[in-house]
Parts: sequence; C-alpha cells; structure tokens
Amino acid sequence: MTDHLKSVIEALIFISVEPLTLDRLQEVLPEDAAADIELALQQLIDEYEAGRQAIRVTRSAGGHIFSTKPEFDPFVRRLLQIERRKRLSGQALETLSAIAYHQPVTQAEIAAIRGVDSSHSLHTLLDNKLIKIAGRKEAPGRPLLYRTADKFLAYFGLNALEDLPSADELKKLLEEGNS
Amino acid sequence: MSDERDPNPGPDRAADSSAASEAGEQPADGYQIKLQNFEGPLDLLLYLIKKKKVQIHDIPIAVITREYLEYLGDRKAINIDREAEFLLMAALLIYIKSQTLLPREQVVDPEVELQRPSMDHLLPYDRIKAVVALLRDKEDEQSQIWKRSALTAPLPDQDLDLVEVSLFDLAESFFTMMKRKQADTAQVFKGKEISMADKTNEIVTTLQARGVLDFLDYLWEQESLEEALISFFCLLELIKARVVIAVQEQLFNTIKVWLRKDTPAKDEE
Repeated sequence: MTDHLKSVIEALIFISVEPLTLDRLQEVLPEDAAADIELALQQLIDEYEAGRQAIRVTRSAGGHIFSTKPEFDPFVRRLLQIERRKRLSGQALETLSAIAYHQPVTQAEIAAIRGVDSSHSLHTLLDNKLIKIAGRKEAPGRPLLYRTADKFLAYFGLNALEDLPSADELKKLLEEGNS
Repeated sequence: MSDERDPNPGPDRAADSSAASEAGEQPADGYQIKLQNFEGPLDLLLYLIKKKKVQIHDIPIAVITREYLEYLGDRKAINIDREAEFLLMAALLIYIKSQTLLPREQVVDPEVELQRPSMDHLLPYDRIKAVVALLRDKEDEQSQIWKRSALTAPLPDQDLDLVEVSLFDLAESFFTMMKRKQADTAQVFKGKEISMADKTNEIVTTLQARGVLDFLDYLWEQESLEEALISFFCLLELIKARVVIAVQEQLFNTIKVWLRKDTPAKDEE
C-alpha cells in the first residue's frame, strides 16, 4: 500500500516543474492520511538518496522537486550549453543578506548596515526576482519596504527562511571562527 | 558672594572667581581680557570653560577678538610666541562656542530620533558578512544541481527577460528566411490566390489553437514565397493593430508571436 503511495508521489513530483508542497499533495490525494503521505515521501527521498540514481528528491522553497545530483553538473551543462556559472555579485549578496535578516526593511536601513548605498544592488535583485517590494513604511518619506521573494529560497536551496542561522547562531559562528 | 567682580553671583560663580583669583596671582604679563563677567588672561578663561565653571554662552567672543585686534594695532612690536598662543586659544574658544551653537542631531527632528532605536537592532556588519559567505556556499552548491525548471525558464536573470521586437528585427528575420526559401524552391507554382483577410484569420486561428507561434517557423511552413510574404504582412498588420505581440527571447534569439491578452479589440466588436 505504501509502495503504491510512494509511486504516486514519485509520479506527481516528477511532473512538477515547481516544488510540490505537502498541502498540494494532500489535495491531490484526499484519501490518504497526511502522516502516510509524509512517511511515503520520506521513504522516497531516502531511496533516491541511497540508490545509484542520478536524481534526487530535493526539499526546496517549502516543497519537493526532482533535481540532478551535483556530480552530474558538468554533463548537464554540456547538454544545455550553459558554460558560465552565474553568480550574484558580492554587493548584491550583501544587500540580499541584509534584507533576509531584517525584512521588511527600507533602503536607508540597508545602507546603515552596509555603510554604502545599495540602490544598484536592489535593482539587480528586483530584476532577478530574488526580492520584492512589500509596501511602504509608515515613517517620514514613506520609504519602500523590501522582502525576499519565494525565488530567494529556491535559488539558495533553502526550504524556509528559518533554515538560515539565527542572529545568535551567527554570533556563535563568528566567535568560533575567531578562536 | 563677596566677590564684586561677579555680576550674577551663584554657587558656580563663586567657585569661578575663587579659581580666577588663585590663577590671577601669577604675574599676568600677557594680554588681559576685560569682560562684564570675566577679567584675566585668555588661558584662564579657557580653563574655566573647560571645567564648566564659566558658561561659554555668556562669553561674547566678538568682543574679545575685536578688542584684541585693537590691542594688536596699538602695539609697536609684538611677541610672536605669545600672540600665536593667544590665537590658538582664541581659535579653540571659537571652536568650542561654535560647537555649542550648531544644532545637534537629536534636536533637529524628533522623527529622526524615533528612527534611531530601530537602527540599533540591525545586525552588525561582520554578521552580515558571515551570511554572505554562507549564501555564497549555498549558491555554488545550487549551481551544480539542476531542476527541470531550468529548461522551461532560462537562467535567473533571463527569467521573463523578453524583449518586444522592433520592425527591423522582424524584417531581418524575414529576409534571412526569404533567402533560404528562395534557394530552396526551384519551382514556383502559381495557383491559388491568397487574400490578406483570409491569411489574417488563419494566423489568429492558429494562434488561438497553438498559443504561441515561432515567427520564422511559421513563415517557413508556408507553401510558397508569396504566401510567406503575405503572412509576413499580415503579421505586421496584426502587430500594428496590437492584436498580437512579437517577442524575442534573448537566449535563443528566435522571435515568437503571441495573441495579446490585454487587447480585446476583436472580442468587443
């Protein structure tokens, strides 16, 4: 019974281009208990991870999706003819980090953290849909507020914002690094 | 309180004048300042101000400097060292007073004051740097993992990075195709006549069925050069009438044609 459920989930994830969430799975499989679905999903993940398959079930942005394992990257690149590895600039990454930890946040606050103007980085990040505008702050000048977008999680392979280390954990990390 | 030089006696003032008289015991050979509430050498005044025994607001610097310049003007010879010292102290005095006169940030705007505390919650820069390093690792990790979405949507910044093409792009594509087709068709059959109206309808119907057309492929599919030419003009007309939109995906450099969703031009009529 579980094997069948596992196969069904496998098929559904296979056909999904965007991460398939548990909620969505539950909608598609109303007869199955949430616990069964979760169990079958976990078994599926483990099987792919342990097996010789070149693909795995990855948790991403709150859902599950098939992805290739890292060792096949060179071959996929050859197939897709994508040679250049695209990376965000250091500036953009810094701005993004500031937003991730302080959202919703204004440009002035980002500038206060980084000590430099961040308008160019903000544009890059908005263009790449890694951040979004989340209204205006009720403060003098009613400045725009920025938040990370869903694509932020997917881009960095995070499942939720909580996957990022907390401010205190960061402090500990830094102290360990120094000692 | 017995001090007669002090016009407005108070506990502080009393302390002032006692200090003043103490210091005043040294032979005052330099220039002496005479003000309503202070009399003595400049270094003493500076000392008292620094010790907060004298309020700098009560000291009229303009008077001090004016009288000093008059004094200098009357002198036949000056002791450079001593006057330089005076200048230094006077400059210091002016600096101190200017600092107290300039508006402080806190008093400028109470709203700015309100925003201040929120800045204290911000992560220190070194922690942001740690996050950057972490995200960079994750980014590198992710760049080696491929999902099927990589096929449907091009790379991050090319996502939806579509460019509406100009007439020149269309024409260029068309002429490239025409050259190929010309070389291809050895025989030209003259036969059925195609009207623009028919062709336009055909394009719209095809678009409705297929959703999207590859501009070049579509022209290529046409039976003859003539038909391709008519199709091209029809497409131009449709673009002009804003019924369809021609868009180029930068990555692959082919022009695609969509029905415009935002123009109900046809439906409304």
